[in-house]
Amino acid sequence: MKTRVLVLGASGFIGKRVLDALSSSDWACPIAASRRGPNLAAAAGQPESLRLDATDAGQLRRAMEGVSAVVNCVLGNSRTIIDSARALFSVAGGSPNPPRIVHFSSLAVYGEAAGDVDESAAPVGRLSAYGAAKFETERLAAANPSIVTLRPGIVYGPGGAQWSGRIAQLLRAHRLGDLGRGGDGYCNLVYIDDVAEAVLRALRLPTAAAAMAFNLSLPHPPTWNEYLIRYAAALGAVPVSRIGQRRLRFESKVMAPPQKIAELIAGKVSPRLARRLPQPIPPSLVRLFQQEIRMKVGLAEQVLGLRWTPLEEGLRQAAAWYRPAASNSVVANSLAPH
Amino acid sequence: MIIDSYELPDGQTLLADVCIIGAGAAGIAMALEFAGTGTDVLLLEAGGRGEESDTQALYAGSVADARLHSPPDRYRQRRFGGTTPIWGGRCMPFDAIDFEARDYVPNSGWPLAREALLPYYDRANRLCEAGEFSYTAGDAFHRPTREIIEGFASSHFTADTLERFSCPTDFGARYGHKLEAASNVRTVLHANVTGLRLNAAGRSVDHLDVKNLRGGNFTVRAKHFVLATGGLEVARLLLASRDVQPEGIGNQHDLVGRYYMCHLAGTIGAIKIDRPPSSVWHGYEISDEGIYCRRRFALREATQRSLKLGNFVARLHHPRISNPDHRNAVLSLLFLAQLFIPYEYRMRLAGAGSTRLAEWFKHVRNVALGSTDAAGFAWHMLRDRKLAERKFPTIIIHSKANLYSLDFHAEQQPNPSSRVSLGAETDALGMPRIRVDWRYTPGDVDTVSRSVALLAEDFRQQRIGTFDYDPNSVETEMTRYGAFGGHHIGTARMGTDPRSSVVNADCRIHDVGNLFVASSATFPTSSQANPTLTLIAFALRLSAHLKTLLTRAHTPAPVQSEPRVCSDAVCEPT
Repeated sequence: MKTRVLVLGASGFIGKRVLDALSSSDWACPIAASRRGPNLAAAAGQPESLRLDATDAGQLRRAMEGVSAVVNCVLGNSRTIIDSARALFSVAGGSPNPPRIVHFSSLAVYGEAAGDVDESAAPVGRLSAYGAAKFETERLAAANPSIVTLRPGIVYGPGGAQWSGRIAQLLRAHRLGDLGRGGDGYCNLVYIDDVAEAVLRALRLPTAAAAMAFNLSLPHPPTWNEYLIRYAAALGAVPVSRIGQRRLRFESKVMAPPQKIAELIAGKVSPRLARRLPQPIPPSLVRLFQQEIRMKVGLAEQVLGLRWTPLEEGLRQAAAWYRPAASNSVVANSLAPH
Repeated sequence: MIIDSYELPDGQTLLADVCIIGAGAAGIAMALEFAGTGTDVLLLEAGGRGEESDTQALYAGSVADARLHSPPDRYRQRRFGGTTPIWGGRCMPFDAIDFEARDYVPNSGWPLAREALLPYYDRANRLCEAGEFSYTAGDAFHRPTREIIEGFASSHFTADTLERFSCPTDFGARYGHKLEAASNVRTVLHANVTGLRLNAAGRSVDHLDVKNLRGGNFTVRAKHFVLATGGLEVARLLLASRDVQPEGIGNQHDLVGRYYMCHLAGTIGAIKIDRPPSSVWHGYEISDEGIYCRRRFALREATQRSLKLGNFVARLHHPRISNPDHRNAVLSLLFLAQLFIPYEYRMRLAGAGSTRLAEWFKHVRNVALGSTDAAGFAWHMLRDRKLAERKFPTIIIHSKANLYSLDFHAEQQPNPSSRVSLGAETDALGMPRIRVDWRYTPGDVDTVSRSVALLAEDFRQQRIGTFDYDPNSVETEMTRYGAFGGHHIGTARMGTDPRSSVVNADCRIHDVGNLFVASSATFPTSSQANPTLTLIAFALRLSAHLKTLLTRAHTPAPVQSEPRVCSDAVCEPT
């Protein structure tokens, strides 16, 4: 009999891929749950699906009846992230047979840390709002033996609007490129299929090995400059432009605020219009490009037995997805404000 | 972290595993290799973060012939980043033949082959922000690129090799933040080393004397010391440290400061190419990574061997700027703008000797008649050079009439009579100033003369066009601006025999167990290539060597040790 696995946030980039991976397995029967709802399973053979507000404990309790595991890929603002995690952990904790939970945290919980960080590292400096929310969810999950926490770095690959689509768009517009000292930070890339594989392995981890957190990243991550230059080459967005510090500062401090406001307003008026607007490069992104943090991933390799998709292959797949997608606006759609 | 010696208490002693003297391209490259490791590194920089006239004045010295060599405080910078804030950024590796002992190049031959450097060239290239270590058009480009002259094929020259250009990267500005963040690397600014003090036996450096211009001084003790200054300052420091070895450190055989080389460079002749202008391209191609790359005519190794010539490259070039008869508005604009161009780049614009008033008027006339071209060029230089972080490397003027000159850059032979020595004067810190007596040999003139003639003959045979030049003018042209500025090579040459070299293949002073040199000073020959990329590769190689030594020092000795093998004639002191 197959294991019933509820996937929260199943319409997102990671959720979708996890759903696919579970569907392809011979042991899992996934149930897709998302705020958008039921049309996910319109076609025959697609996973069962349901509309669900993951912050609502009552809805969650009903959805979790008869499931053995839950994967929490919920997206949203800080409030949604925290409330959905609190509801999930609370419902699971009240169950006589607590389900295995695979909970997504993030690289952002390390704050402004630099150097090599393993899973025991404490946050350094100021946490972003997103990082603080994820950190709070980890605090809520602490000591719960049924929860496995995954901390992916920069998740990229086909369908990845943020780190593949947006970056591709900025590279093609020559607004990103070789950033010089502004791109010396490490880009802790992890390919989307490797993230999905990590979920599958975490779901089957023996109980004794649960209650752990795992960093997910290439073991020898490139710098952001290397990522941008190699991705640009894969996209054919060459020659790569050198983007100086002055220009990056101008983009992030002067251009980004009005661009973001315009994007939000346009999103309310017309998604089509929003798609046509230039992507902002926020100061947080500029800071990330410079952050020399390298996630150590020995634990994921040893305990989960993970192997990593080579960067070259990942970039090839991401570029192959972006190029035709860009021409028929699928990417542009996915880049529109959520 | 980066600190300033002005903030240190007077008379302090700083301790380190490795002390690197000089935060230029080599010193910073080495420090970066150690950043984040367990090795305690001290990086001493004589200057501050920018140019300071009193510090720069410490570089002043004298030259034997002002026509042949620029003043010693030119083409080098005593500041954080070293000379990289003003370098041109031209990168190219040394060729395999450069490392060989060639019977037709006196005193040639390195104690290692090019292969020993290959593992470090790629990283050196990246530190220079010159992209991939890929130096032929075929390797660097996955698309067809324009040839210098379409269809030109010569058994003597290849036109497939490239030079690549750094931004040019100012190592201090580019990598300073990494040194700031590295807790195991202390960079001390305004730290002028005034003496390398050996132990009584003279077999290892005991400490350094360090001073600043405000009267402060401190001492440094370390396990290993690295001289990572330029070629002139390496000689100065070794020769001036003579308390234990009266002739100077490493100078028992009177070699330090000798064999001083630069490059032989100049422009010559009038080339008229009988092909459509569209089939001639002497400008840049931009690689996928955004790097400016340029082809040049390079003398093949087989030709060098068979004709007994030194290494040589040449490029198509615009006519001499100072002569207004070129009637080119852009060139005249450059001539008129020379006062706004840094000294190091101005010499070739100004020409030799004074300019007559009539010639100034001719230049003004050229600009007036071609004001559209001049304005377009000015905009190009503003946008692509002045404001760009990756700068358009050099001036490229495409000639609609297919008129060019030949710009050459040749190897200078190592010559013991060409030397850097200490003068009688001292600087503000009491250090002897240097005296530069740069000399070239008939062999140098021969390399340039016959190489130019060979290319002219190739042009003639292939009916490329005409290349008119006066063979008797070669020596004049190759010395018109003196020694090619900024390439200070050979003053502490590398070899296996202490009687003919100063450092061994590990760049260690032969008889001093803990003193190393990371500098173009160690190059026994000069190649056709600019030295920066190769000196950085050597610095990276030395870092790896020091890491091995430090690891070995921390490893308990085995019960039965291996027989001791020395890499040169003199073993490390025990």
